[in-house]
Amino acid sequence: MEFTLVTATPFLLALLLVIPPLKDLSKFAQTAISTAAMAGMFVTVLLTVPRLQDEHIIVYGIDWIPSLDIGLNFYVDGLATIFALIVTGVGALVFLYAGYYFDDAAEHNRFITWLLAFAGSMLLVVLSGNVLLTFVAWELTSVTSFMLIGFTGEKSSEARAGAFKALFVTGAGALALIIGLVILGVACGQILYPEEGIRFVADISEILQTEDLHKHEWFPIFTVLILLGGLTKSAQFPFHFWLPGAMSAPTPASAYLHSATMVKAGIFLFARLSPVMYKNALWSELLLVFGLATMLIGSIFAIKQRDLKGLLAYSTVSKLGAIVAMIGLPGQNGLKAAFLGIIAHALYKSALFLVAGTIDHATGTRMIDRLGGLHRQMPVMFLITIISALSMAGIPFLLGFVAKETLLDAMLHYSEPQTALILGVVMASSVFTAVAAYMLVYDVFWKPARQEIHFHQPPSPIRLGPVILSLGSLLLGVLVEPVIVPLLELAVPKEFELHVFAGFNDVFWLSVGILTAGIALFILRKPLIKIIGFPLSGDSVYREMIAYIDWAGENILHSQSGYVRYYLVIILGTVSAVLIASGTLTTVTAGKSLFPSDLSVTIIDLAKIFMLILAVAAGILTVAVREHVKAAIAFGVIGYAIGVIFLIEHAPDVALVQLLVETMVTVLIIIMLGRISTSTRYHVINNLWVGRHQRNFGLLRDLGISIVIGLAVFVFSLIALQNRAERSSIAAWHLENTPTVNTEDVVGAIVANFRGTDTLLEIVVFTTAALGVLTLLARGRKGSGPLAPRNADVERLHEFDVDVFEGVQDATDLSTPFTRSVSTVVLPIAILIGIAQILYGGSGPGDGFTAGVTFGLAVSLWYVVLGYHEAKRQLPWFRPALFTRLGLLIALLNALFPLLLGKGFMGHVEFDKALGLYDIVASFGLHVNSSLVFEVAIALTVMGGLGIIIEAIAFPKEVEPLGED
Amino acid sequence: MIEFMFALAIGMLFGIGVFQLLRRDLIKAAIGFAILFSAINLFFVAVSAFDGEYAPFVSNVEAGRQTSDPLIQALILTAIVVSFGSFSLVLGLVNIISLRYGTVDSNAVNNLKH
Repeated sequence: MEFTLVTATPFLLALLLVIPPLKDLSKFAQTAISTAAMAGMFVTVLLTVPRLQDEHIIVYGIDWIPSLDIGLNFYVDGLATIFALIVTGVGALVFLYAGYYFDDAAEHNRFITWLLAFAGSMLLVVLSGNVLLTFVAWELTSVTSFMLIGFTGEKSSEARAGAFKALFVTGAGALALIIGLVILGVACGQILYPEEGIRFVADISEILQTEDLHKHEWFPIFTVLILLGGLTKSAQFPFHFWLPGAMSAPTPASAYLHSATMVKAGIFLFARLSPVMYKNALWSELLLVFGLATMLIGSIFAIKQRDLKGLLAYSTVSKLGAIVAMIGLPGQNGLKAAFLGIIAHALYKSALFLVAGTIDHATGTRMIDRLGGLHRQMPVMFLITIISALSMAGIPFLLGFVAKETLLDAMLHYSEPQTALILGVVMASSVFTAVAAYMLVYDVFWKPARQEIHFHQPPSPIRLGPVILSLGSLLLGVLVEPVIVPLLELAVPKEFELHVFAGFNDVFWLSVGILTAGIALFILRKPLIKIIGFPLSGDSVYREMIAYIDWAGENILHSQSGYVRYYLVIILGTVSAVLIASGTLTTVTAGKSLFPSDLSVTIIDLAKIFMLILAVAAGILTVAVREHVKAAIAFGVIGYAIGVIFLIEHAPDVALVQLLVETMVTVLIIIMLGRISTSTRYHVINNLWVGRHQRNFGLLRDLGISIVIGLAVFVFSLIALQNRAERSSIAAWHLENTPTVNTEDVVGAIVANFRGTDTLLEIVVFTTAALGVLTLLARGRKGSGPLAPRNADVERLHEFDVDVFEGVQDATDLSTPFTRSVSTVVLPIAILIGIAQILYGGSGPGDGFTAGVTFGLAVSLWYVVLGYHEAKRQLPWFRPALFTRLGLLIALLNALFPLLLGKGFMGHVEFDKALGLYDIVASFGLHVNSSLVFEVAIALTVMGGLGIIIEAIAFPKEVEPLGED
Repeated sequence: MIEFMFALAIGMLFGIGVFQLLRRDLIKAAIGFAILFSAINLFFVAVSAFDGEYAPFVSNVEAGRQTSDPLIQALILTAIVVSFGSFSLVLGLVNIISLRYGTVDSNAVNNLKH
């Protein structure tokens, strides 16, 4: 249970921090909360260590996708615990540091929110017991890290480029990873459940029990894919270049993500899968090759860097390579060295990053050549750097020394022909790392600065985090036996010993040799840096690739002509081709004549046919008439004719909605026509009609396309109508069960009860559309109109000052005393009708929708007759945005409330029965239940959405015409 | 027979809607867009409701009468409201284009990226 809590806490806290009251707390308080949360999680994880020592593995979980046998599991063993301790422990100190790193409170709040989300994702990666969950969390770390690298992206193009690069590389790797994991899961399924068909095993505990996985024929495929995922994430050569780019992140993020946690996700993955993968030589060899290459290249590039954070980034790359190589050592012999390396590196590298950030903060630069002499101004930072850098170099008695001794020891005992070569690479890389460490101490702090540096002392508490981290490097080196060994014992499958000083053996003399060689190279560093170079960097390959992608995108764009006819022809062509090629048409039509054999018609049929003819005739009219107003009215006729057909077809609810919506649509078109100047409209009318003889070809082409499409639709409908099923198979169920929700109207019951979730989503869609209209039309407005902020309410008084709008013809010609009084009378009637439709929606046609639309129609009448400003002034209580909010809120609460009663989402609750008022209420023909509440919510939402649309369209505004640009 | 007439009307309305979309007049194109919706709703009701002789009310069911299919009616109901929402979005687009470009001729509208 505690692991669920540990994973959920960062996410919850991140959510709470973006809203009041936590958002409004002081920077200090927010720092305290986030630090305490991480520290608490650290302690929680630490407290589970004794239990792990007994049980070794803690597995638990809940159902997630039971049909696929995929659970939301936690799988906690020693490996996960070590990582969780790093994430939470280093995390707490980084959060503490961040509180003093940022000067601006809002920036700090935004930063720690993302950092918390990242911490949660990282914890989920390491604690997850299901590879799919691991993958989701893996992607979350990429996304949150994107936000953190690009944190200053508004100002800095470098930050944007760095963030994109990181997302691109790790995201591409993740694509390979998920494919690899799925293949791996299926392979496990074949081994574990040979009798079943294809079975995807996602459970990590099951995967780790697959003994013979390394013999599976797909092993090379998923190994390469999973390695691609892990190598990109852990910045291994040749994918290492994104990590230095990520240094544009604020330093706390660099310290946390790009040294201690996120880049170790790949390493975690390798270590996690190692027990079932290591027996295959391919796995070991690939890890060794990539790891060693990265180790050497990273350490050489590190000393070439002039940017302090660049140096740290490349030395991180190098260390990650060393750890990858250790995991790849055959027979899991390097695991101990790998885990020790992870811990040591997390401690010293995050401390060094935090120091770098403090230096940057205090002096305004991170350029090594410009820095110097800081040991006087920042003695504490100097001390921290000495300890951490020497731990990095591997000076005796520091944790880094123990880690390196273990590493060298593991390499020495690797009995393969290439041992000498491998040992040489490790030695060379260690020498360069030592040079980098000396440079950190000497060049940055000790040597005198070339020119005067502007310096201001950072706040003292900023030192606390790095001090604790460097103390960790110092103390854990000495305390390696009582503290580190029990932890590693949980994670390493073999017996082992660890000592802070193992005696004057081979390994010790190797160490001494490395440190001495390092000093020699350090003295020669200036000429050395000049000759280091690499002809082809991963970065340039990346840039080439991005350029190609852009180029391909440009070319694909050329295929988009922008003409509707072009798309229609392609869509129609594809659909026809698929229908004909698949043979669907022939099987459906087999044995039935498409053309009517029986020509008899009933009276009802005649009425339907009349309405159809009316609709088609009106349709032709919309094309034939020149004026838009007439076309709009002809369009209204189509809608009414179809509405009457609905009525004849025994669909009174649909007919009612159709008639109302049709009216609304026609009104909207007419309002909009009033908004578009006559000259604008006549320009196109004259162009298209007067000069028609010149455009015969275009007209014929369009006519041809639409006739072909019309014919195709005709044939399709005819086939569908001739072969239609009797009725939908679940119709009977709905007809039978409607009485259980005290409703007379079956359609109403379906909308409000049986398929209520659809309706819930539908009103959200409707609201979104309304907001879309508002956003479209609100562009180019200056601080007024429906989108105006609430505090503009005061200014609204000025807005209604008639003088201001003297030039704007707002009220229409329709505004006569008669129309004014009609609109005044109609509104209350519409409200009454609407209320009646809601209350008695269950017993007859009409429901929340129709109530909302009826009301919207009455209001739009006001807007048509009186114009925007007059209507707005006369109806001050008409607040569409408020209605929408209320409606959606009520709908959501109504859907959630039954959950409390254990009835499930959108369950049916009878409030009247619960309150003992059923008989009284029922005597009025009413039923107070969740359907009623839902109808009210629907009505409010539709009313609000319509109001938003009407206001947006009716708002008289001056949009600036598009300029010449 | 009535099926044939329905199919014919649906096909014609659809063709008319497509034709309007193809022309350059954006206002008429918006109307054509709405006609397409109507044609589709008409198709749904035509497919569903032929054998019903009464409205789908519980009293009709209890009286043993053959009612029309309620499920597809609920579907059309939803479709009408959603299509209305998207139609108002189209209207908003036409509106903003006419204001920014001073014309509703689709050929004159370029550079919508801006």
